Amino acid sequence: MKEQPLKEVTQLIHAIKVGLVEGSYSITNKTLDIFKYIIMSKSWQNADALMQIVRAQCRILQAALPQETVTSNIARRILKLTREEFDLLQAKVQHFADDSQASLSLHKLVTQTSESNVSVDYSVPQKGLREALLDHLQEVETELETSSENICVQAEEHIHSSEIILTLGHSRSVENFLKRAIKKRQFLTIIVAECAPASRGHNLAASLAGEKNVEIIVIPDAAIFAMMSRVNKVIIGTHSVLANGGLRAACGAYTVALAAKHYSVPVIVLAPMYKLSPLHLCEQDAFNMVGCAEDVIPYDSIPAREAKVYSPMFDYVPPELVTLFISNTGGHAPSYVYRLLTELYHPEDLEI
Amino acid sequence: MAQFEKEIVQAILIADNNVWNFKPLSDEGSTALLPLVNVKMLDYALIALNRSGVEEVFVYASLYLQDIRDHIKAGIATYASWSFKMTVHVIGGEGCRCFGDAMRDLDAKALIRGNFILLGADTVTNADLRPVLEQHKRQAKFDKGTAATLVFKECSNNVRTGNEVLIAVDRRNDRLHYHQRLRTHQKESRYQIPLDVFLGNSCVALHHNLLDPQIAIGSPSMLSLFSDNFDFQTRDDFVRGLLINEELLDSRIYVALLPDTQYAHRVNNWPAYQLVSRDIINRWAYPLVPDMGVYKLQQQYVFHKDNIYKSHEAFVSKVALQENVVIQAGSHVDSGAVISDSVIGANCRIGKNCRLNNVFLMADVTVKDNCRLEHCVVGAGATVNEDCEVSGGCVLGAASELPAKTKLTGTLVTSTPSTQKIDELEGGELELESLGPKAFIISDLTTGDPEDSDGEDFLPQQMLSIPKMGDRLALLDEISYCSDLSDDDDDASRAVTPLADDTNIFLGEVIDSLTRGFREKSNPDFLILEINSSRYAYNMSLKEVNFNVVKAIFGMQTIVEPANNNVLVAFNAAFKQLGPVVSNYIKTEDAMLDCLKALEDVCEENPLVREKISQVVHYLYVKDFVSEDAIQTWYGQLEEQEHGHLRQRLAKLVEWLDQSSEKDDDDEDDEDED
Repeated sequence: MKEQPLKEVTQLIHAIKVGLVEGSYSITNKTLDIFKYIIMSKSWQNADALMQIVRAQCRILQAALPQETVTSNIARRILKLTREEFDLLQAKVQHFADDSQASLSLHKLVTQTSESNVSVDYSVPQKGLREALLDHLQEVETELETSSENICVQAEEHIHSSEIILTLGHSRSVENFLKRAIKKRQFLTIIVAECAPASRGHNLAASLAGEKNVEIIVIPDAAIFAMMSRVNKVIIGTHSVLANGGLRAACGAYTVALAAKHYSVPVIVLAPMYKLSPLHLCEQDAFNMVGCAEDVIPYDSIPAREAKVYSPMFDYVPPELVTLFISNTGGHAPSYVYRLLTELYHPEDLEI
Repeated sequence: MAQFEKEIVQAILIADNNVWNFKPLSDEGSTALLPLVNVKMLDYALIALNRSGVEEVFVYASLYLQDIRDHIKAGIATYASWSFKMTVHVIGGEGCRCFGDAMRDLDAKALIRGNFILLGADTVTNADLRPVLEQHKRQAKFDKGTAATLVFKECSNNVRTGNEVLIAVDRRNDRLHYHQRLRTHQKESRYQIPLDVFLGNSCVALHHNLLDPQIAIGSPSMLSLFSDNFDFQTRDDFVRGLLINEELLDSRIYVALLPDTQYAHRVNNWPAYQLVSRDIINRWAYPLVPDMGVYKLQQQYVFHKDNIYKSHEAFVSKVALQENVVIQAGSHVDSGAVISDSVIGANCRIGKNCRLNNVFLMADVTVKDNCRLEHCVVGAGATVNEDCEVSGGCVLGAASELPAKTKLTGTLVTSTPSTQKIDELEGGELELESLGPKAFIISDLTTGDPEDSDGEDFLPQQMLSIPKMGDRLALLDEISYCSDLSDDDDDASRAVTPLADDTNIFLGEVIDSLTRGFREKSNPDFLILEINSSRYAYNMSLKEVNFNVVKAIFGMQTIVEPANNNVLVAFNAAFKQLGPVVSNYIKTEDAMLDCLKALEDVCEENPLVREKISQVVHYLYVKDFVSEDAIQTWYGQLEEQEHGHLRQRLAKLVEWLDQSSEKDDDDEDDEDED
């Protein structure tokens, strides 16, 4: 059986493909809007039907955009929400007098593994589920909106005066994080690796250059190792965080991480919670995306006729090269990512 | 209120070009629906338009209209990426036989409301045409006669696919002045560019390494120009017509070049098909690459090392996929096969130990065991039986079946003998060599390419055949380098050739007109009309006309070979009859100088006139064709060394003129005395 994609979903896919919607944050936001629309629509009568619809649309998004993992992450959040709200309402009906609400959720957390064996029948219609979900969705939206701000707040804890910071390419979280640090600390030196061939590092440098009291240095990617010995901290963004704490980050991140390892420079990765995905490196069809060959070598050049040209967009950075993740909820070690994932998503939703 | 809304961007997509080049597959279905790396060509064009922000597209097709309609419908149903924010209309023209007919039909239907993008269905591009459209609009605001902006892409000079052009452009305003298509098969050793291009413009750039991807931005006047000039058949006709009759039609063509980072190519024959397939697989046309899911919503392939794109649902085991291979869903490749640089369509079956190199299989093709296929295209549903060897640009038509152990190079095979539409037109070449019950060889040799109006420019000794794919792309380099070397000294000697051909033809025509007018004693007004029309036909400037008219009079038979060698009598008679014609042109001081310069030229050629030059000039002075001042100036400009004889002969006359003028007006000081 093939599911029919919703109009909104197809439009989002097209917009992302054409490049109208860019950046994880806006993609996440748009996806959340779609799921909100689904929840508000009258097309489902019980929790089971809703979860079917969410799964189906998520599969379509995934098939069309395998690299954009944030869409399925949001879908998993919604599924988990649905399950929780459903259980909560069921519990309310069944043991109305039994327990207080607070102990219920704690109880759930502790006994989660034993309970997962008992399958819950979600197809029972539940009154008030829609309203409860929409309420909760509001919280998720707020979390999303404030995630960047929450990460920035931690800038002071990690960046101190007269430090030398190295970053790569142009990540919006890194940009805001550094701007905050520049305001609070003095005599910072920020080295930006340009991240060829897109050279988005130039944009970041231009944006930071507007600030006062800071020295900005743009270097080619080849100079990363040479500069690393003087660097105090590496701060990078990432496209997504994998289940083992590894990164799928902009091409060049592996170079940076290895050089940092060599000089024992701490690598701090800014990753809001919606970038955490329960996928492993080997589970994906196409981990990487390969871009336009033209960026690497001109089409008309003679070697281009014979050469095979690759312009990969991502690097895999293994978890042992990452020192710390900074998410909107605080700092975490890479080894702790698995724990965050179990909190964030329901174990049954890992496979959509 | 509708007209106050924002102007929507419209585009015209012309399907059904290159029908001849894609034989025999073009006999079985529309060329626009030919798959290129498993995506129909029409889809590439539609996606390109969608990415450029076009909101309304008219697909114009004349053949297989229903197929195209069905395809558009199916595309919308399966959420093809062009179906968003873009409406597609399919228009059919019965009896539309060429590009020009299509444009005329579109003009009659009045569907286009503003500037529009004009694209062939065979164009593959990832370019964003919005900036070009903006440039065109700016230009149109500035110059009301802007008819079109042609879009070109720089390309390397060593590959020829029949889409290369040489153009001359005014660097200051990007206006097109000269347009020439380059040969398909080999490099030109020299180019001939009319002198006018350089005389009339101070800043001209010649581009000889441009590719024409058949992209243009048209003004509304472009369509009406096609309607007004019913002899415009192709876009090239349009360009040529406009360049020749620039002043008459009051329309100009401008040029835009795509930036280096954008890819554009036209797929109009098999070599181009091979080249573009390779470019798409090698990701030059990014994001129009197989693993981006450009057409369908889902990703269809997984990208592997060495540019191998494999569908999840393809069964490929123990097979050597070397490089640049695309395998679509449902295909089954048996063990021992070696595949490189190939595209395999949906649901194909390839037998054991086959070797495929540069092979393009469409859907549902069966290749049995131990076959060797090289540089060939196999149509949908065809079967190649055991132990066949096919190479050298063969094309197997849809549903054909090659018997076992067939060896073929460079032939076109079709499944049924009755599908020969084109051959019937050419006079019924219906005897087809049969290879088997479902395989007939069709001849691709013809006396002229019906698509190609530039036929006369090509080498005549070569029988024209369909360009076939092969390793030719690499070979061209060597040939061209050799020819470059041998032509170097040749070019140097030609560099000094002073006259463009058009001027000589014009002169010839004026001589003919005048001779006839003189003999038949016709009305001078008619002669002037005749000369003027010749002038526009050859795009002569006024200066050249003045010069050549005078020269033409002295070029007339009666003056070149006068009776009794008496040039003056003949000259007198001629001027009596043709005087009004001359005085029509020779009016201003400048024109008189032109006239005298023409005389100077005539003296060089005609010894009879040279002897009597002073009488001739005197006659002209007396009859008021030239003024005294003009003669003085001209005389002053004559150089001692080159024109010594002339000066001697004229000295007396000038002296006399001086004296007479001193007599006439004593106050005036004449400084022209030697």
